Amino acid sequence: MTVTPTPATVGTGTVLSLRGVSKRFGAVQALKNIELDVRAGEVLALVGDNGAGKSTLVKTIAGVYTADDGSMVFDGAEVRVGSPAEAQQLGIATVFQDLALCDNLDVVANLYLGRELRNGKVLDEVEMERSSWELLRQLSAKIPSVRIPVASLSGGQRQTVAIARSLLGQPKVVMLDEPTAALGVAQTAEVLNLVERLRERGLAVILISHNMADVMAVADRVAVLRLGRNNGVFTVSETKSQDIIAAITGATDNAVSERAARRTRQEGSAS
Amino acid sequence: MNATRPAPGSQASLREANRERVLGVVRQHGPLTQVEIAAASGLSAATVSNMVKELDQAGLVGLSRSIRNGRRAVLVSLASGGGLLAGVAFGERDVRVAIASESREILAQQLMPLQADHVADDGMERAARLLADLAETVGAGVEDIGAIGFGLPAPVDSVSGQAGSDAVLPGWRGVNVAEAMAGHLRAPVVLDNTANLAALGELRAGALRGVQHGCYLKFSYGVGAGIVLGGEVFRGSAGTAGEIGHLTIDENGPICRCGNRGCLDTFVGSRALLSSLAASHGPLRLRDIITRALAGDLGCRRVIEDAGRRVGVAVAGLVNLFNPEVIVVGGKLAEAGDLIMVPLREALDRCAIPSAAATVELRPAELGDEADVLGAIELASVLSHARAAKPAETTV
Repeated sequence: MTVTPTPATVGTGTVLSLRGVSKRFGAVQALKNIELDVRAGEVLALVGDNGAGKSTLVKTIAGVYTADDGSMVFDGAEVRVGSPAEAQQLGIATVFQDLALCDNLDVVANLYLGRELRNGKVLDEVEMERSSWELLRQLSAKIPSVRIPVASLSGGQRQTVAIARSLLGQPKVVMLDEPTAALGVAQTAEVLNLVERLRERGLAVILISHNMADVMAVADRVAVLRLGRNNGVFTVSETKSQDIIAAITGATDNAVSERAARRTRQEGSAS
Repeated sequence: MNATRPAPGSQASLREANRERVLGVVRQHGPLTQVEIAAASGLSAATVSNMVKELDQAGLVGLSRSIRNGRRAVLVSLASGGGLLAGVAFGERDVRVAIASESREILAQQLMPLQADHVADDGMERAARLLADLAETVGAGVEDIGAIGFGLPAPVDSVSGQAGSDAVLPGWRGVNVAEAMAGHLRAPVVLDNTANLAALGELRAGALRGVQHGCYLKFSYGVGAGIVLGGEVFRGSAGTAGEIGHLTIDENGPICRCGNRGCLDTFVGSRALLSSLAASHGPLRLRDIITRALAGDLGCRRVIEDAGRRVGVAVAGLVNLFNPEVIVVGGKLAEAGDLIMVPLREALDRCAIPSAAATVELRPAELGDEADVLGAIELASVLSHARAAKPAETTV
């Protein structure tokens, strides 16, 4: 497995698009007719209230759940993802909130867990360590040593290791589920820098976050989910965070605000 | 074996090398436990333990208690030698924060991306929390910070201490940064324009070292210049010298954010560059233009070359006015290298008086995007010395 950087692809197109994706858990309609496009070299933030369907959507793309309805086009071809392993093979990498690192293993072992490099019958530790360093250097990661147990790393460094691991399979899409939750400011900064670096490598990044400041700092577009449905896609450079928050909370289009707007219109025309 | 012999290859020189290695590791990664130092340096645990003991006695490192893996551990950090200095340098889309020792050696620094058009409160809040976080990582606290140098990419009125002309960096309009920061941190704040700070940084440690009359051209989201006269940064009567971005290039040109017409910024500022590519390339960021231009994208190359030419014309005016020896080109767009330097040089040669153009040397910046924050720390150091000399005025 090589860790050479993907050159920043010039002339970027849509890598992943979802059409009419729906998912139901018993009586709960978790996702309804979701449309989503992700382009290469772009950070798409996925935001929404609790229970809006963000995690369900991520898990559907990652192959943890299968959608009841709808289609998914990856790299120009329609695909069906039956399991997380299939998604990974396609080139969709996911870093879940719990990171899924083994605390007692060192950084190299974590990066190559389940896909160890072999030299004949024995593990090729030298090559694994060398390419681990190379990968972490490309990400400008501040990791003191690749031979210390992951348990002794800070939250931001652990996140870095988890993201680095997701890059080993040469993915085209990387999904980060709440990467800055429960991190300090300096560590948040580290992760945000990392997101920018992924974007520069020409990857499509789907970032889930509750923190508006983080989203506005690194995202190119923001897709809002509300109650399992699309509630607008915003281009960050043309939007204020208030508008996005309004879309998240539904302040833009509820019955009360519509009635109020109607009333002011009527009063305006009557006077 | 004679341990005291200082010849190369001897035990003494080996010891010296190991000492340097331990210090180097701590310098690079911040505070570490001895086990981590051993892992990162490749030295044995016993050697590291000896070295740390020695360095502690010599006062070069500080030890503090901590917990790693649920066990008690001793954290080794570089000794800050009393007061710390802090530098905060804002860009249009990010803030870089650094903490340095009294001898101006950087102990920790961090870059944080920010929203475009962020508001001052939000920016200062994040900077203050980053500073507190960084101070903690070097084994100190916010109260150990003696002075803060603070840079903004906007004109700074040194008389009133307020940031911004009305339209440049709108989120910071009329904010008195020193007062507002005092609400977050107790240390005194000195405020300056980031182009001036970068000039100061390059003057002390980079491409302007030893230069008497020079100029730092900051070519980033906007264009600014820090002017060095007689080996000192020249700020003018109210701190706004070097605002090259608002030189009038075309009197009938588009309206600038500052309210005038046809400023240089309206042709080479990030907004102008991005909007000229919007139709053909879609929404981009400044960094995208540079990476694509370097990868050979013709449209992006053209935009950067044109910008270089425009700035060259303005710089020619600067060269005619004060005849500098060296012009250092820094900022985000300087990363495009020759793509920008060559057209800049051509325009400069064409438009400046030949004798002045022939003597001026165009150099790329040496400190990259760290120049601003290094300058901020220089400024903080000057401030803390000035206050130490006048202890009567220490109330803030």
